Amino acid sequence: MIRGIALIFGLVLALVIQTSILPVHVVAPFKPDLLLVAMVFLALRGPAVQGALLAWTLGLIKDVFSGLYLGLNAFTFLIIFLVIQSISDLLYAESGELFVVTVGAATLACVSADMILLLMLTSTPGIGYSMLAGLLPHLLANAFAASLVTLLPVFSSPQEVL
Amino acid sequence: MEFFKKFGLAALAGIGILAALIFYSLNIPQKRSANFIERGVMTVFAPVMKPAARVSGFFENAWDNYLNLVGVRQENLRMRDEIKGLNARIIAAGETAVANQRLEKLLGMKNTIKTPGLTVSVVGEDLSSWFRTVVIDHGSSSGIAEGMAVVAADGVVGQIVKVASTSSRILLLTDHASGIAATIQRSRARGVVKGKGEGLCSLEFTTREEDVKVGDVVVTSGIGGVFLKGIPIGEVTMVKRGEYGIFQTVIIKPYVRLSHLEEALVVLRVPND
Repeated sequence: MIRGIALIFGLVLALVIQTSILPVHVVAPFKPDLLLVAMVFLALRGPAVQGALLAWTLGLIKDVFSGLYLGLNAFTFLIIFLVIQSISDLLYAESGELFVVTVGAATLACVSADMILLLMLTSTPGIGYSMLAGLLPHLLANAFAASLVTLLPVFSSPQEVL
Repeated sequence: MEFFKKFGLAALAGIGILAALIFYSLNIPQKRSANFIERGVMTVFAPVMKPAARVSGFFENAWDNYLNLVGVRQENLRMRDEIKGLNARIIAAGETAVANQRLEKLLGMKNTIKTPGLTVSVVGEDLSSWFRTVVIDHGSSSGIAEGMAVVAADGVVGQIVKVASTSSRILLLTDHASGIAATIQRSRARGVVKGKGEGLCSLEFTTREEDVKVGDVVVTSGIGGVFLKGIPIGEVTMVKRGEYGIFQTVIIKPYVRLSHLEEALVVLRVPND
């Protein structure tokens, strides 16, 4: 119960940092996606069913505060969560390096999936160029944020997060 | 003998006093210059007086310094607090002055538009790097509705897209999904200003024959009913006419510095009202 409340508090804090604090101090392409980092952490260390629901919710929250298309990130977050969750038993989930690499791979997957969905279903032809141009800084920022997460006490704990 | 025993001391004292008086009276004419007694005493005491004066001065300084130090720490702490307070007031005053300038310009725009408007503050930005939206601190409870135009002191900001009761989101004109009917102020050439994402826009659907030059001012055309006619959007920074094709490529730099947007004015007029 306490771990669940702490997790919710951490997610709300991440959301506030990302929407109101980071934009003031960090230029746009270097804004990390803290919700994506949280989702990868859940996929590696959380339970399947509740984790999937929470991953979809995280994506939905991201959609509420980003762009015009509600459900876009909810969909991609869920897909990425399920993929990582399906192979998490084969991975050494307590490894910090693996976590950073997984966040990098998830970032690439998320941007690619978002771009395909946007190009297919919306009339925003120039967005592909913007996304590709900002991909590398975004990837680096997410990897850096993931490396900071590995320093948190919750990462060292062998227990599941929920 | 008996007399001397009885009055000897008093007589001696009297003689002494008289001698002293005589000595004093004899020295009056020479009052400015030292006599041999004075010179002698001064010469004898001079080597002693100098170090004594130094020692005395040292103790005097030490005492004064001690007395001064008693309250210095407290005074230092108090003054540091005062400096902090004054610095905070200077910063606040500077911030107020800058905010005042911005709001004054915004008020000027509000008076120009002649439509009811609501001044709002930006409280958040888009989570993603490739969408361009901002969150503002007013929503439907303040009369804001989807589709309303948003302007700043220098020109167009964007359009309201998502409204909650106490907050809303503005789609900035630089977002890829944004489209605003516009016209070149000088030649009246028409087009649609679309966002390009990186702080720039492009004027789409302007045919090759239209007269567009670098430096031209782009304003809203009023077509579509979202924005009132004649609100500044930006300035043409590049014009390219290819060998083929119907349209020309026109790049526009918005007048409003969207990355530093703090306040904006929501035009409280529902489109096509």
